[in-house]
Amino acid sequence: MKRNVAIIGGGQTFHAARRHDVDQAEMVNEAVRAALNDARMTMDEIDLVILGNMEFFEGTHMTDCWLVHGTGAYGKQGLKITTGGTVGATAVVTAAHHVASGLFPRVLCIGFEKQEEGDTGAILSGVAHPLWGRSLAGAAVGYFAMMGSSYMAAWGATEEHSAMVAVKARQNARKNKYAHLKLDIGIEDVLNSRMLSWPIRMLDMCPASNGACAMILADEKTAKARCKKPVWIRAMDTAHNEQFELDWRDVKTTRPIFSRTCAKRIYRKLGVQKPSEYFDVFEVYEPATWSELVWYEDLGLCAPGEGFRLIEKGVTEIGGAIPVNPSGGVLSTNCIGASAMLRVWEAALQIRGDAGEHQVPKDVRRALTTAYGGTNWTVMTALSRTLDD
Amino acid sequence: MATKIQEPISIPMTVSVPYRFAAGSYLTKCLIGLRDHGTLFAVECPKCKRVQLPPRIVCATCHVRNERWVELGLEGTLVAFTIMYLPLTDPTTGKPHNPPFVYGTVRLDGATSVLDHFINVEPDLEKIRVGMRCRMILRPQAERIGDLSDILYFDPIPG
Ligand SMILES: [Zn+2]
Repeated sequence: MKRNVAIIGGGQTFHAARRHDVDQAEMVNEAVRAALNDARMTMDEIDLVILGNMEFFEGTHMTDCWLVHGTGAYGKQGLKITTGGTVGATAVVTAAHHVASGLFPRVLCIGFEKQEEGDTGAILSGVAHPLWGRSLAGAAVGYFAMMGSSYMAAWGATEEHSAMVAVKARQNARKNKYAHLKLDIGIEDVLNSRMLSWPIRMLDMCPASNGACAMILADEKTAKARCKKPVWIRAMDTAHNEQFELDWRDVKTTRPIFSRTCAKRIYRKLGVQKPSEYFDVFEVYEPATWSELVWYEDLGLCAPGEGFRLIEKGVTEIGGAIPVNPSGGVLSTNCIGASAMLRVWEAALQIRGDAGEHQVPKDVRRALTTAYGGTNWTVMTALSRTLDD
Repeated sequence: MATKIQEPISIPMTVSVPYRFAAGSYLTKCLIGLRDHGTLFAVECPKCKRVQLPPRIVCATCHVRNERWVELGLEGTLVAFTIMYLPLTDPTTGKPHNPPFVYGTVRLDGATSVLDHFINVEPDLEKIRVGMRCRMILRPQAERIGDLSDILYFDPIPG
């Protein structure tokens, strides 16, 4: 990038199914205060505020206006982001672009969702074409179920493989004090959980969480002067899919779908030859177990059709050669507008060595994060510990 | 006097919003064909030759206008499916679909796009598989109204 951008602080709420103790502004403010404390900054030092959530998931529009006391944005420049599951990552990328422009040295970005206050499934149906297919668009679970059936038919994986992903996520979440679903479960528990939409069972899906995440991004001068452990944003990329043309449900497709297109471009920007060696940790956006297996393949961590072998061999465990989602991921915490930002913030914590109990036991210099949402698109962000990495 | 700790207040609310969507020139042509003649027309991109359904004015890949209309057959191949056990609400009617039911993604012969719809088969894994051939079944003509519900479901083709 022409001007370097660093993450100089961040914070998150404790994520939970129920947060009736706070309203939306109060919940967002918890994350904002945590981020300011972490960066040792006051709101007066922030030049611009980016707020992200999904319009109407909690029945509200223009949250940038009426949460303004909670976000700290009153009287400041800023804008609102709404891009589906990618919201949090789009907010980070938008903040980074503003810093990189040279016009805004210190930018606060925030992602939140208070899922319990609305009907996410009902509002999600609005992403489907109103006249072509909305009748079946009641829940994301059906989409991921079709992805699973296609994946098993194509590569010979079984329901045990997706169960392994479910177990890894919840066992990792037990080490993350902020995570929502901290479950001491095994493969049998997953296979015995309630069938929602074959082959997706209850424990194959993410929960509906309430929570927020906030990060402060700064230019190189501020980062070096104010932060002991800045984490540098080295590359960002976004790619969309085309509606009605196959996506993750046809795992054998040779068309350049969003996930592979985006990975290819971000690797080219960084000169990455072998992503599994270049990056020390990955935080991917996996609303369902099957999507994590497909991320392994689309990110080039293994060959197509071999993702389920990685989980089988334990390669992507916290202590494995290619740690993926040591935080417990979206499968353990899904406060949608915050979920994609949490991927970036958790990756930053890994690079700082501040992830606590879920810190991966190796030297973490570089990390890659993905987002997923809308009608199949992604935002990827690559981070590093130093500008030489 | 001891003060009782109060539960936080949260207030339930329902918002019901009516909409009316225009199908536009391309989809209207396709839906009229479906309603009046039981045909299904897609459009082919002059550049990449992808046959796109629902028909749309511009090819997203090539950014050129789609002008050639192609009639599709009513048979295709199942590329993915699920057995749904949840009483999903149909967002177009507000009524639940009756679980368990099977729906899937079908690629009609000659199309590059896919269509999600009900598969008229028992919710039994022995009776459904990816790669299965199926045929689109329409409502009787007198009952068709010119939207996607004119397609009842896909029937598996034996064999
Ligand atoms: Zn084309």
